[in-house]
Amino acid sequence: MIEATGLRVRWPHTADDVLAGVDLRVDAGERVLLLGTSGSGKSTLLRALAGVVPQQVDASTWGDVRVAGHRVLSPTAPGAPAVPTTTTAVLARDVGTLTQDPWAQLCLPTVEDEVASGLEHRGVPRAQIGRRVREALLAVGAAHLRGRRTAELSGGEGQRVALATVLAARPRVLLLDEPTALLDPAAATAVAHALRRAATGRATLLVEHRLDEQGADEQGADEPARRGTDEARSDGGATDGQDAAAGLPGRVVVLGPAGRVLADGPTADVLRDLAHDLAALGTWLPWWAELAAARVRDLADLPAVAPARAPDDAPVLLQSRDLVVRRGDRTAVAGASLDVRAGRVTAVVGLNGSGKSSLLLALAGLLPAEGVVRGARPALVLQRPEQQLLARTVRDEVAWGPRRARLPDADARTDAALAAHGLTGLAGADPFRLSGGQQRRLAVAAVTVGDHEVVLADEPTFGQDRATWRTCARALRGLADAGRGVVLVTHDVRLVAEVADDVLVLRDGRVLAHGPVDAVLRAGALPRAGLPLPPAVRAALADGRPVAAVLGALAARVGEHAVAGVPA
Amino acid sequence: MTTAGRTAPGPTALARRDPTVVLGTLLVVSLLLLVPVDPWTPGALLVAAVAAARAGGVPWRTLLRGAATFGPFAVSVLAVNLVTRPGVPVAHVAGLTVTDVGALVGAGLAVRTLLVGTLAVVVASSLDPVRLVTSLHQRVGLTSRAAAALLAGHRVLEQLPARWVAVRQAQAARLPGPRPRRPGRLPASPRLLGRAAFTLLVVTLRQAQQMAVALETRGVGSGPRTVHRPVPLGPGDGVLAATALGVVLLVGLVTWRLGLLETWGTVGR
Repeated sequence: MIEATGLRVRWPHTADDVLAGVDLRVDAGERVLLLGTSGSGKSTLLRALAGVVPQQVDASTWGDVRVAGHRVLSPTAPGAPAVPTTTTAVLARDVGTLTQDPWAQLCLPTVEDEVASGLEHRGVPRAQIGRRVREALLAVGAAHLRGRRTAELSGGEGQRVALATVLAARPRVLLLDEPTALLDPAAATAVAHALRRAATGRATLLVEHRLDEQGADEQGADEPARRGTDEARSDGGATDGQDAAAGLPGRVVVLGPAGRVLADGPTADVLRDLAHDLAALGTWLPWWAELAAARVRDLADLPAVAPARAPDDAPVLLQSRDLVVRRGDRTAVAGASLDVRAGRVTAVVGLNGSGKSSLLLALAGLLPAEGVVRGARPALVLQRPEQQLLARTVRDEVAWGPRRARLPDADARTDAALAAHGLTGLAGADPFRLSGGQQRRLAVAAVTVGDHEVVLADEPTFGQDRATWRTCARALRGLADAGRGVVLVTHDVRLVAEVADDVLVLRDGRVLAHGPVDAVLRAGALPRAGLPLPPAVRAALADGRPVAAVLGALAARVGEHAVAGVPA
Repeated sequence: MTTAGRTAPGPTALARRDPTVVLGTLLVVSLLLLVPVDPWTPGALLVAAVAAARAGGVPWRTLLRGAATFGPFAVSVLAVNLVTRPGVPVAHVAGLTVTDVGALVGAGLAVRTLLVGTLAVVVASSLDPVRLVTSLHQRVGLTSRAAAALLAGHRVLEQLPARWVAVRQAQAARLPGPRPRRPGRLPASPRLLGRAAFTLLVVTLRQAQQMAVALETRGVGSGPRTVHRPVPLGPGDGVLAATALGVVLLVGLVTWRLGLLETWGTVGR
């Protein structure tokens, strides 16, 4: 169903191939997981198979590609560049594509029109459209959304509608590019299950970071509260790879940094045998493979030392009392009290729509709120870094804050921040032309270069591979260890467990729990708020030692540097 | 107007009519209104239009929004014509001479502006974008690519206000100094607004580019398209067009018989 031979792709004005001779064959009914570090060409491969590269996104291509019986790319002569031979739109009659951002895929005002539009444009007879729309929405658990406006959907709902739009057309090939990247854990698990059901009988190629959620049971996604403390207390030790990989596609293909296939085989075998190499590449692994990468059977085998952290009576830098935030007719936050202390990281967690971002904006003074907010003006790193850009070069971007504050050492600070975030080589580049990961580093550099005592960050790790995630976690912890107060808004429970000192749990705008991370985790407050604990955190809790110490020791053993405070 | 489950006709009578017929009628009426330059003909039609709109379920708020939007433009048209038209002087204001022809034509053009503006606002508020594009596809052969692009563009515009606020909040979060005195009040210096506008442009263009790719991967333009919910063309559409054009011609006839109708050919003679 998918047959690529010697596929090479090179972006304009670059000397190296992003894909350097990929051979891939996927048969009908086969599900394949595509793993690789950032920049290894995973998305490019999917886009080339869909015809988007080079038809809508300019690139030079070589090789021979056939998908669902269509000749997608053909060489003009042996060894010569390949040209597209089927338009993307025609190919779309048999190929369904889903990307990570629902807001970039939903194009019509209502859900029913959205799902129907894919059928209309593929010429499906009118008499069949209504039934197929209903069936597709039912298949992804979104039948209740049929009458909704797309603008009012949450991220998880939007992604399910986007998936229904793809499935309604009954494509023979599914190309899925991190379809759960922007979703909270419950929504991610629900979408993963919808995808698994949808893959039956189709050739599916899936790029995905969140492998634990792919393998999680659906009941858990739908009833996270029920799992509660039972999960927190369960033994999360290593299981047999074959069983644990049951929820994942049966075959995995690994792309290396040079754009070549490094491994191709049964998922359980590849993840078990190459676990350490995959971790070194910076890819996420399912929990059991992470243990295999650490070459331990159980977390108890790891020595762990509690990280040195600032005390819980450190000076308060920012304080809120009984904070109420209203957005239109809705009460987004209903009475949150919070102390942000020097040297400590406070995580604010909850599902999408629980009021986390509203609380953050109110703490930053960017939303009107009732109640009290006292203390310094915080710096804020937002979820979409491109929205914060103010200058035309990376250097000016970092220097913007210090210059505006008339700091005498603005240039020296700028140089130091550029160096600290690996941006010196990009100092003259246009910020808008950076990659997503580079823009995120730039946003952190630009926001933290000033004298703000408190730094707020909104979903700082969403959609990141393991290596970038680790860099981001280390940077946030480093800010606190340097004496600043840090507030993270996130639904990344692993980040909370490794980096935060305190956690505030929100559900429907109300504070469900607030206290030291380990105590709140052990009390089962996160599952009650709809956030199931990832297996690594469950296992660390079951271990009994401080969670951050255990997970830091695991990270160190896997071959990475631990988050600050944990010996590597 | 969009209601639960479908892009169904909205609550106003106009929303239940075929959007192409509504737009075509508006176009023809607007062209006919180019003929009179006296205030009486468009004035009578304005009264009739407001009465018909209210009878058809259009709220006062919509009508007032039209007046507020086009009112300043109407006043400026009146002011310019008052003092720039040749004719018999009737007053002197601030060193400028107001003529009888200027007053007549200025008032006529100002009322015409209000009338066309009111009609446009009423029509725009009644049109559902999906029904409009479907109707244009059915009636005048709008291509599937153009239809998809129009709807995607509508969605981008729909998100623009929220994105503008998000960009301004994001950039305000970069400001050094003490906490803002009034939480939620975003800085409004021209320089910052200019930077926010540029960022908004880039972010929106990027989203539009992604949506264009999404439409390609949905098969837009891959062959003849079908229509899930066609817009029906019924007798009511004919009645609407005939009534609207009939009222315009009737009012024109009455003002002519009363000697009130002025055109560019008769005014000032």
